Amino acid sequence: MREERQPSRLWRVKDRVFHYLRAINAENIKEWRIELKYKPDFIRQFFEPFVYLFPYFLYGFALLGGRYSEHLRSLTGISDMIAYTFIGYLFIGFLNTACWAMGFSLRKEQWFGTLETIFVAPVPRWVYVAGMALHSTCHQGLIMLIQAVVITTFFAIVLQTSGLFLSLVVVLLMLLGLYGLGIIVAGLTIALKQWWVVSEALATLIVVVTPIAYPLAVLPFVLRKVSMFLPTTYGIIGVRHFLLGEELVVGLPTIILRLSIILVVWLTFGMLVFLIMDRFGRKRGSLSIY
Amino acid sequence: MWVIVEEVRKSFAILFAYPVEVVFWIFSPLLWVIPLVFQGKALIGAFSSTPFGALAGTDEFIPYVLIGAIISTYMFSAVWSMGNSFRDETYYGTLEHILSAPVRPVYILVGKGVYNSVLSTLFVIVQLLICVFIFGLEITLAKIFPIFLFLLLLIVGLYGIGFMAAAVTLLIKESHGIIHLFEYVLFLFSPIRYPVEVNPITKTISVFIPLTYALIALRGLLLNIDFNFWKNSVILLGIDCAIIPLGLFIFYKIEKRTKTRGTLADY
Amino acid sequence: MLENSDIVVEALCKVFKKGKPDEVRAVDGVGFSIRKGELFGLLGPNGAGKTTLIKCISTLLIPDGGSASVGGFDIKREPLRVRQHIGVLTGGERSLYWKLTPVENLRYFATLYGVPRKVIKDRIDYLLDLMGLTDKASVRVEKLSSGMKQKLSLARVLAHDPPILLVDEPTLGLDPYFARFIRDFIKNELNKKLHKTILLTTHYMDEADELCDRIAFMNRGKIEALDTPDRLKQSMPQKQTLEIKCQGTLEKETFSDVREAASINISHEDGFVYLRMNTDNPEVILSSIIELIREKAQIFSVRVTVPTLEDVFVHLTGASLKDG
Repeated sequence: MREERQPSRLWRVKDRVFHYLRAINAENIKEWRIELKYKPDFIRQFFEPFVYLFPYFLYGFALLGGRYSEHLRSLTGISDMIAYTFIGYLFIGFLNTACWAMGFSLRKEQWFGTLETIFVAPVPRWVYVAGMALHSTCHQGLIMLIQAVVITTFFAIVLQTSGLFLSLVVVLLMLLGLYGLGIIVAGLTIALKQWWVVSEALATLIVVVTPIAYPLAVLPFVLRKVSMFLPTTYGIIGVRHFLLGEELVVGLPTIILRLSIILVVWLTFGMLVFLIMDRFGRKRGSLSIY
Repeated sequence: MWVIVEEVRKSFAILFAYPVEVVFWIFSPLLWVIPLVFQGKALIGAFSSTPFGALAGTDEFIPYVLIGAIISTYMFSAVWSMGNSFRDETYYGTLEHILSAPVRPVYILVGKGVYNSVLSTLFVIVQLLICVFIFGLEITLAKIFPIFLFLLLLIVGLYGIGFMAAAVTLLIKESHGIIHLFEYVLFLFSPIRYPVEVNPITKTISVFIPLTYALIALRGLLLNIDFNFWKNSVILLGIDCAIIPLGLFIFYKIEKRTKTRGTLADY
Repeated sequence: MLENSDIVVEALCKVFKKGKPDEVRAVDGVGFSIRKGELFGLLGPNGAGKTTLIKCISTLLIPDGGSASVGGFDIKREPLRVRQHIGVLTGGERSLYWKLTPVENLRYFATLYGVPRKVIKDRIDYLLDLMGLTDKASVRVEKLSSGMKQKLSLARVLAHDPPILLVDEPTLGLDPYFARFIRDFIKNELNKKLHKTILLTTHYMDEADELCDRIAFMNRGKIEALDTPDRLKQSMPQKQTLEIKCQGTLEKETFSDVREAASINISHEDGFVYLRMNTDNPEVILSSIIELIREKAQIFSVRVTVPTLEDVFVHLTGASLKDG
């Protein structure tokens, strides 16, 4: 019996990393399985982005009496309101990944009654959040792909395919920064009963100051400064530059550098908040209360 | 009657246990408008648009979308809160006790409806005050009676739809999707953010949504835009008369069905 | 002694709402050790602090004082290693994904607990077979009865074959058939055959008496007594118990003048009132007791038994296991 109690192979670093990666993937697969059991909801998620997007198009149409704006061209170099707005909204979809899917993950386990069960498993708690990040990125990626195909075909939008690779690099950096936000929200959900309000308020604020449907130039000074701290700002500016040729207000190296700094800061801050909140939850005993 | 009062009282008591949510619901419709303001500025370069005026009757698009956002508070409240009210009771574990109480469920439903409309009206008033005193929105309150008339007609119609949403929740436990879909249809096809005339499809479907007529009338009254008072009020009244009995009918049918199948407290 | 122990708890404390007027000392300076392969019971009424203690030991809660080690690993310093060595089973609540099937659940948890990929399938087959759930392998958990769900929870706990099990109220809310199955399984399969070290909490006296090698009585966050069930019962100063089953309203104070009766306990079950008291001379006090009851209740039966763990608990704490 004694041999069994010795620290197992698992505790060798390589094995441990392998174990965590498998756990992350298991979390991802479990989420897919559960989601696919709620079929109407699953299908709805593919329609939802269109419903959010169309009002912006229709509003633009009503304002312009058509699709093209001279004023937008003077600000950004792009006159097509549809293409401009669409690219912005397409990639802001990842904000949902962070604020809802990742932030919501632990709360959902509380509802299922499984949070304590997974928290006594021999993996650190960030592994669940990472698993959820993997899942929701795949999920959101699929939704975005469908959205992109439908909208570009329907509105005959021509994208610069040569910029695809670089735009993916920018998106990846933005995504890592957003994971930091997701981890913060996930941490807050452990301690706060009305977590979703925080999450929703944060998301709304980010949507307002991110140049999704308008360039940074139209934002008031203070909001423009706030947007400089968000990964979404650089992500969207960069992607639109590579795919549509939007004129950049800051240079490309600056964008990459700032994105990298932001992602390091957000991820570190996120992990810190998460660890503090997790400790707080275990001290106060509020893990299973909701 | 006391059942309705008690339902309202209980719902308020539960709400005030979540003060952060109250603040959120007041501000969120206003926050959603801000991107539209910046989008307008980016596309036009000014805060008035002639093509917009041709469709909406006013070139000033910011007051237009602000009013739309404020009034849509009723829609979100009616569809979302009513749809979820029974779902919440399932989570609290109180649904079976409520529906087995010796009162007709319609009173509970009306109680929830009254609570939500009182709450929404409070929100709407606060939002209007913010818009007037902070954002400098110019509205005319001279026609206070017609404003209340149209609000009342709107609320009644929306709660007819809310009853249907509540019924759907009883039937399909994972009802968030369906409720969202309800909301989307109302959101997309009524003139909340843009005049529905902008597109033939939105124009056609908007005809069947009570929110369309109420928004045209309320914007007309608050922003001094020309509109046909009698036409809008009569159509709204007509829709209300049809939709309330229909909502109740669907609710009763579904309640009976769930009771027969014994799926009431599942989740 | 300690070298041979799987769980060692020393002066452990957990205080909720610290410093506030409604401060709760859920675990208050508890200490004990559990030997390898021992089935150790924590017996106490609801709210005694048993679940809080288990949560501290399983690293779900951080204790405010004292220390504990599991499998030789400190719960504060090496929580991951502790978790690697334990399986935690709780009764009466949801600890599985109801939308997934038993196989999907077990595969997920086994991966989470680091079971090698090659072994997972065999392990799942073995566990489902062990629990008699093979024919339910592809049925969604929500469609299973609560007894089957609890069996599946047991299978989940065993997925990574942990040497130590923390079992919290395992039969709570189960019907007698499944409760019996779970008890037998814990005693015979897990403890005797697989030699698992088990810390079991319960407020069912019979369960503790039947299953446990040693029992700790827990009340208001403290351990009041710790020994084998037999020795605990032998520790009673009075060697017999008088039990009267009746219907009506009884109060303890009515019998306070009966000099030869101790540890008076009144409990309610199935519409009847049970009056139990410990005494060395039941035949002497019976007539006066009956006289006292007659005005207040109708007597259905009278019996004399040996003291049970419940009587010991009442004797030591003045509280009943059914309190709370």
